[in-house]
Amino acid sequence: MSGRDKIRSSVEKWRAERASGRTVRARLAALEDEVQELRQLNRRIAELTDVVAELLVPIQDRDKEKVQEVLARYRARI
Amino acid sequence: MTESSAAAAHPAPVGGVSVDDRGVHVAVQGTGPLVLSVEGRYVWSLTPERDGTPEAGGWLVRWPHVLDRFLDGVGRITVSDVAGETVYFDAEVPLGSGEGALEIVDGDGNPLSVDKVGHLTRSFAATDEGIRAEILEGTQRALRDLRETCGVEAYLNYGALLGAIRDGAMIAHDSDTDVCYLSKHETPADIILESYKIERTMRDLGWNLLRMSGGDIKLLLPLSDGRSCHIDIFVAFYVRGTFYQLGNRSGQVAREVILPVSQIELHGYTFPAPAQPEAMLAFLYGPSWRVPDPSFKYADPRAGVRRLDGWLRGFRTTMGGWTEFWTSAASDEVSRRSSTFGRWVQKQLAAGSSVMDVGSGNGRDAVYLARRGHRVWAVDFSRGAVRLTGRRARRHEVDVRAEQLILGELRQVLTFGARLARDPHHIAARQLLGAIDAQAREQFWRMCSMALREDRKLFLEFFATGPEGSGVPAPAPHGLQRRVDPDQVAAEIRASGGVIEHLEVGPGDDLFDQPDPCVCRIRASWPAPKGDPA
Repeated sequence: MSGRDKIRSSVEKWRAERASGRTVRARLAALEDEVQELRQLNRRIAELTDVVAELLVPIQDRDKEKVQEVLARYRARI
Repeated sequence: MTESSAAAAHPAPVGGVSVDDRGVHVAVQGTGPLVLSVEGRYVWSLTPERDGTPEAGGWLVRWPHVLDRFLDGVGRITVSDVAGETVYFDAEVPLGSGEGALEIVDGDGNPLSVDKVGHLTRSFAATDEGIRAEILEGTQRALRDLRETCGVEAYLNYGALLGAIRDGAMIAHDSDTDVCYLSKHETPADIILESYKIERTMRDLGWNLLRMSGGDIKLLLPLSDGRSCHIDIFVAFYVRGTFYQLGNRSGQVAREVILPVSQIELHGYTFPAPAQPEAMLAFLYGPSWRVPDPSFKYADPRAGVRRLDGWLRGFRTTMGGWTEFWTSAASDEVSRRSSTFGRWVQKQLAAGSSVMDVGSGNGRDAVYLARRGHRVWAVDFSRGAVRLTGRRARRHEVDVRAEQLILGELRQVLTFGARLARDPHHIAARQLLGAIDAQAREQFWRMCSMALREDRKLFLEFFATGPEGSGVPAPAPHGLQRRVDPDQVAAEIRASGGVIEHLEVGPGDDLFDQPDPCVCRIRASWPAPKGDPA
């Protein structure tokens, strides 16, 4: 392959990558968005933990039988 | 530096600065930060090179938008350096119609100023000594509650710390006090959980507060003159060796800069402070922290802000704008009569139904449905809207339970869902979907799936995206509402277990009852999954 063909081939490859969103810049932007999504799980974990920790114990104290029934049903279905 | 220093002495103006309806024109170079006063009272601080746009060989710094509604009348405007030693401009200026006196005051006549983040506030300079004592005592109490009852390493920080170390006094133009605590945790989820626990403890101790993010709460300290002072409680923490402190600070700060806490004095009151307050101030305000600059703006590392946004924020992105709307004069334009949607819902309800109005706004439909004999529970994420709804219900002597519900907060969604599961209601939501983000929408479907048992229905109305290329206009209020694709909404409802019973797209009304070409109405239900006893 001549030097000119190599350049042409590289340019075509670059154009195809750009069109398909596979350039480094596009991948970096996508990666940043994905990392941000993962960071956001921190708040979701905290919220779920909080609800469970705060509500489960009092519920357990108040109506043990009912709670155990709910928990058993829950366990059986996961 | 005191509030009166800029205006009381009145050295002869050296010129190079003028003021008109557009803003402040600065023709001289290298002035540094400037202080603008009206009738001798501090109003705003600006740095021409940073805040202005080049014009006629100098800079034009436009008036901040928060001042727009005040800029009408004649007043004596002074522009000086921070120390008040060099006065660049001092003259009577007519603004707007030029009639009457130029007054930048709140409804009770208290002078207002623009703070560092561009909000209108009452500054300490305009606060008398008795009120200042209440603020300092309140801050002291907050710190004691945090350290002794919540058990965290809390310390005074930001403006109050700066004032204490530099002048032994509050900084003239600061309006709130800021308190930080250094968390022992290094995982963001644990840091948020700790903040939730602190929130509960502070509420138990009688504090009225708002959650601003997963790592900061705002205490509202009532003052004897009827106002309330804000005390921000910010978390500080380390993750993988980097120090983070809310607002948006991040960088390298050794633990020894903070712990063990020291003691400082401010107006005769003692406060816990970082172990090395000077090092903390240099981290916050840069090496020139000793030189007063009321127009100072933080230069936070972008990567740090991005991390803090991802870890701690995102559940109240659209809340502030709506609260501002519902507490401003603009909301007076919203009709108090029932909407066409409210009447559409009413026609489909059996007598004496229970209905939850989600996003109740000024309460027009909640009150309408209550007056038609239904049992109404109204919720909105804006506390301003909750107040309007409650007030409207009282005026019409109908019983409407009005509460705040932040759909972006999963804890709230789950607990409301559980309450609704025990006490089933229909759910009606007008113009809700375009006012919340995708995560809050997803959690709204979760609440519907928990709540809509038996024959309960969801009634929805929202601004729909038009066919491609149809060019439907952005809905009002601008920047607060957007259009949502009905197909996407229907798909999301189905994905969460709902069934679409009715879907129509056509002309309708906007928030101000003006015609909109593309409004979608949906009625949906959530049948119990097979094998699941309701």
